[in-house]
Amino acid sequence: MGTEADTKDSCCGPGYATPAEAIKAPREKLLYTVALYTGTGIQKPDYLATLDADPESPTYSQVIHRLEMPNIGDELHHTGWNACSSCHDDSSMSRQYLLLPGVRSNNIYVVDTATNPRAPSLHTIIDGDEIKAKADLSGPHTVHCLGSDIIISFLGDAKGEAPGGYLHVNKDFEIVGRWENSMGDIPFGYDFWYQPRHNVMVTSEWAAPNTFMPGFDLEEVGHLKYGRRLHVWDFEKRQPIQTMYLGEDGLLPLEVKFMHDPESTHGFCCAALSSNIIHFWKGDDGTWQWEKTVDVENQLHPEWPIPLPGVMSALLVSMDDKYLYINNWLHGDMRQYDITDPHNPVLTGQVWMGGLLGKAPEVNGVEIAGGPQMFQLSLDGKRMYVTTSLFSTWDNQFYPEIRTKGGVMVMIDCDVESGGMTINSEFMVNFGQEPNGPSRCHETRYPGGDCTSDIWL
Amino acid sequence: MAATHKVTIGNQGGATYVVDADRPLLETLEEHGVDLPYGCRYGGCITCAAKLTDGQVDQQEQVALNNRQVANGYVVLCVARPLMDCVLDVGVESHDKLYRNPFLDPLEPHELKPGIIANTATSKES
Repeated sequence: MGTEADTKDSCCGPGYATPAEAIKAPREKLLYTVALYTGTGIQKPDYLATLDADPESPTYSQVIHRLEMPNIGDELHHTGWNACSSCHDDSSMSRQYLLLPGVRSNNIYVVDTATNPRAPSLHTIIDGDEIKAKADLSGPHTVHCLGSDIIISFLGDAKGEAPGGYLHVNKDFEIVGRWENSMGDIPFGYDFWYQPRHNVMVTSEWAAPNTFMPGFDLEEVGHLKYGRRLHVWDFEKRQPIQTMYLGEDGLLPLEVKFMHDPESTHGFCCAALSSNIIHFWKGDDGTWQWEKTVDVENQLHPEWPIPLPGVMSALLVSMDDKYLYINNWLHGDMRQYDITDPHNPVLTGQVWMGGLLGKAPEVNGVEIAGGPQMFQLSLDGKRMYVTTSLFSTWDNQFYPEIRTKGGVMVMIDCDVESGGMTINSEFMVNFGQEPNGPSRCHETRYPGGDCTSDIWL
Repeated sequence: MAATHKVTIGNQGGATYVVDADRPLLETLEEHGVDLPYGCRYGGCITCAAKLTDGQVDQQEQVALNNRQVANGYVVLCVARPLMDCVLDVGVESHDKLYRNPFLDPLEPHELKPGIIANTATSKES
């Protein structure tokens, strides 16, 4: 299988002792990617696709299994494990279950990936209505484990109004309640990452479910319906302690990641609409600082009255903390920055796939509907898997042709020595060819953990 | 006996169903076996949006549609209740005017979501 199970010490739990150990793990051979029919017109459930990523296999670069959810209309989006390297010292834990929240339905599907990694099965469901009743939350997004517990960010209350909060689930997938003791004056939620050695969590802001679920009305940004702040939390006290107001530089601050090194206080956020990389760190005086390090300029589109922003909707740090990767979903490029000096990122790689600027309408013979959106990097940093769909209603606004063409997964070879990115010509998974019709692929995970799943205590 | 209305699905061969007046159309049409898309089931997303081509519904619970979408006839079936006999086009085939590129085709102030217009009016008064 080539997962952590092969290499781990029999005394230890899931994951790896350090990021350096994770880099040495065997190559990923299977990928799990959520695929959507919500919003496509095809009356089928969303599903978890298993992809063959073993170049020696006859089914390399193909979907080899599809686990359908029991309902339609969930909008599967992000996913997370029941356990990661934060439980490495706990031999009673294992990375067996992948949690799949449905943004629209509020259901959380718990999928067993260990019994048969090629053909995962549904283990249990945390019912969306029960979450609303017990915790007054809707619009689930990011899943992280905290030792043997799990917390999930929700963007709204039970009625879809901001700011939502954090659901605490135990290792048996029972609802404990709300994780946070206070939301303070936080107006919106979205993504979060924590760095336990510094007793800190940083959270970002998208919008209320009732705002973003129906699609994107640009005018609502001016009406303050979308976020523009980052929030620093006292992780043990479970309450926010500092707000970083990003203003126009930080419109729609979405994904937030710390460096993998648990000693580091440096982290990054991508402000999607401003299309800026925001770097934050703990200053010498103990307060948290931020700066804009990369500003992707809006591009003039020949037929549009408003210049086109990049829409930097995701970011990822390589396991060795050397490279930061970002996307520009509307422009159509993926970028690699050397962040050896996190204050001064250096652009070292760039590739084009899809997008609205017409730079790469076709990749490996397949017409791309959408642009680079979610991506996952191998633990050794050499292979990046990129998908093209953002969110069903937003896809339908910007890339209506995705309805008939579906999404794709592309692989990018990343040069970890001297920098650089190249689209791999052998790998292409075309979700336009799925048996039930064109679907859209989103976040990807590997059975043994990846570059956005694990946190070290 | 509960009040009922007749609902005709224009883009499914004019199929006609008699439904309760006081229940959401998504529920009552599903009970008749009509296969409809949906997402949140509380009026907060537009996955179940349909185009009302004749008749009138009460959809005051919806918080997802902006006024341009409403003006174009869109109704959110998971909360919309029929006030009279109605004709609907359903599914993504009815979504030709539901989705709009916001950079290519901005909204006028009066076309925003009703809740935002109400808030703007309140803050101007205060």
